[in-house]
Amino acid sequence: MIACVRISDDTIPSHALWPEILDALDAVTPLIEDARPGLAFLEMHGVAGDLKTWSTQIRALLAPFALRAIIAAGPNRFCALAATWIDDGACIEPGTQAAQLSCLELDVLELDPDIIERLHLLGIMTLGALAALPHGPFVRRFGREAARWHDAARGIDRAPFIPRGHAIAIEASMYGEGSAESEAAVVFALRVLIARICADLERCGKRASALQVEVELDNAETARFDVQLAAATSQERAMLDVLRAKLEERTFAAPLVGLRVRALGLEEGGEPVPLLCGDEIDRASVAVALARLEALLGEPVRRAKTRDAHPLEERFAYEPFALPKRDPAGAPAAPVRLVPQLRLLAVTEVDVRLRRGEPAAVGDRAVRSCAGPWRIEDGWFTAPHVMRDEYDVMLDDGEICRIYRQGERWYVRGSYD
Amino acid sequence: MLLATARFQELKTRFHAVAAAPRAGREALFPTAIGPIDVLLGGGLPCGSLVTLEGHGSAGCRSIAAALLAQATRRGLGAVIDSGELYPPALEAAGVRLDRLLIVPAHTPSGAARAVDVLLRSRTARVVVMAAAMLRSAVWVRLANLAHKAGALLVVLVSRAAAELSAVATVRLACCLERPVVHGTRGIWAVFSGFELRAELRKHKRAAGGACVSVLSSVHG
Repeated sequence: MIACVRISDDTIPSHALWPEILDALDAVTPLIEDARPGLAFLEMHGVAGDLKTWSTQIRALLAPFALRAIIAAGPNRFCALAATWIDDGACIEPGTQAAQLSCLELDVLELDPDIIERLHLLGIMTLGALAALPHGPFVRRFGREAARWHDAARGIDRAPFIPRGHAIAIEASMYGEGSAESEAAVVFALRVLIARICADLERCGKRASALQVEVELDNAETARFDVQLAAATSQERAMLDVLRAKLEERTFAAPLVGLRVRALGLEEGGEPVPLLCGDEIDRASVAVALARLEALLGEPVRRAKTRDAHPLEERFAYEPFALPKRDPAGAPAAPVRLVPQLRLLAVTEVDVRLRRGEPAAVGDRAVRSCAGPWRIEDGWFTAPHVMRDEYDVMLDDGEICRIYRQGERWYVRGSYD
Repeated sequence: MLLATARFQELKTRFHAVAAAPRAGREALFPTAIGPIDVLLGGGLPCGSLVTLEGHGSAGCRSIAAALLAQATRRGLGAVIDSGELYPPALEAAGVRLDRLLIVPAHTPSGAARAVDVLLRSRTARVVVMAAAMLRSAVWVRLANLAHKAGALLVVLVSRAAAELSAVATVRLACCLERPVVHGTRGIWAVFSGFELRAELRKHKRAAGGACVSVLSSVHG
């Protein structure tokens, strides 16, 4: 038997609160499927009692959260959910599903409103009417997904019950064992904590993709920061290197009296180490270098992405650098080409003399050849509206520049190199 | 599990060592993938060296640097110290894999030098490109040594290398514009499609200087 706990629409808990509620429900059964915030299925096979007993227990556990819960049971997940629509405390017994579901409206199936409207137009108003349709023609008419609706209307739910994973907190802390005033002492303490964390990770067969460090200072202040690792790992050295790099350039106002390190983003399994992969990137050392550079420069290392746009400056965007996925061995590489590189300069206004409508001189440099204009117009629907004419000009000193005219003014945008 | 991982890593290291080992009697070279320049350099730039690409205005130094980055990002990472002058679509057209290019924003000479120092020490990037900055001779020596230890290529873009920089450079390649290539007649019908550049070998530790080649840099490759 599966019990369904559906929180009434007017008291649906937040994403932050929902895991706490599920943790509380663990006292009823360890097998709980988290369908979404406000809806959970509890596997009650082998748990003593009946729905009434379970319901009393669940309500007692949910009391501190001040939620209005509807609790019902059925032989599978869909029947348990449908029973919550029949009545609070309803129970659909095995073998009676089709009869008990027949009077329910199609909304129980949680379908797209357009599909429900189509079914209504065909005169199908209840699950009973839907179950009465022949399976094959109905599926052919409404597609493969319709097989699931038709099964559900007959009380059949083929989807497996997926119990939620239990969150494991892996952390280590050091408090009240003197204070650390030098970097070496802090690093030593961190090394000890990370060794403990790595041992715990190994024991649980997990890897951490981030660390959270909480520092307590002698002046009663606390600082907390997250350290992202290049790839999920359980290796002490990789973690310590990134953490040390992150701590470089960081100063604290007072000696440290407490440290807590917590492993975040836990992942299952071992670390994939490809033998024959197409790249030569040492991910651990890249992560350390990125952390060091960020500590040094005060901003993250970036990578560029190109995009379609008309103005030059809109054709790319930057984002923090993230390690690319591994290439399989033998992946084809783009050909290397010698292509003129536009060097973007700070936009500066220049005097341009025209001859027969074309630039003849830029500042005090004569134009030897000119290509353009190309009209760039952008921002029709969004302010500011940009309209400019761009030219490539070769100047008498051998420099090839990209200049543009906007309104009556001329600007230098870049030079080719 | 740890033992198995360690053995696996050892095996992988041995595989890479065999693949990356220079042939007996020959120095490891980093080919630029630009035929005439590779011929000029005797097969490519020596790995673990500081290289200057010198030229005024539209000399084509950045085109060659982009080709080196494209070559580096085929299997590893490349890095460029950027002060806001980078135009990534042109790099992509040159074959650079932008997802493997570290763009390090450094706005001061000392910041740029320290960033290059971190990159070279960590051995993350095979090619690091930076514009020449006003740095002391000792700093250039240190960066050249780090490049040597890391087996990476430090490419410095400069109009003309000063004495302290030229002293530590293993290769100095001077570029200059020979002629622009414009397709079409004039005005709106004309399109700037590249330029022909001349590359002159000013210094090479293992070759005679003074040799020149001409190459075409084209927006169409």
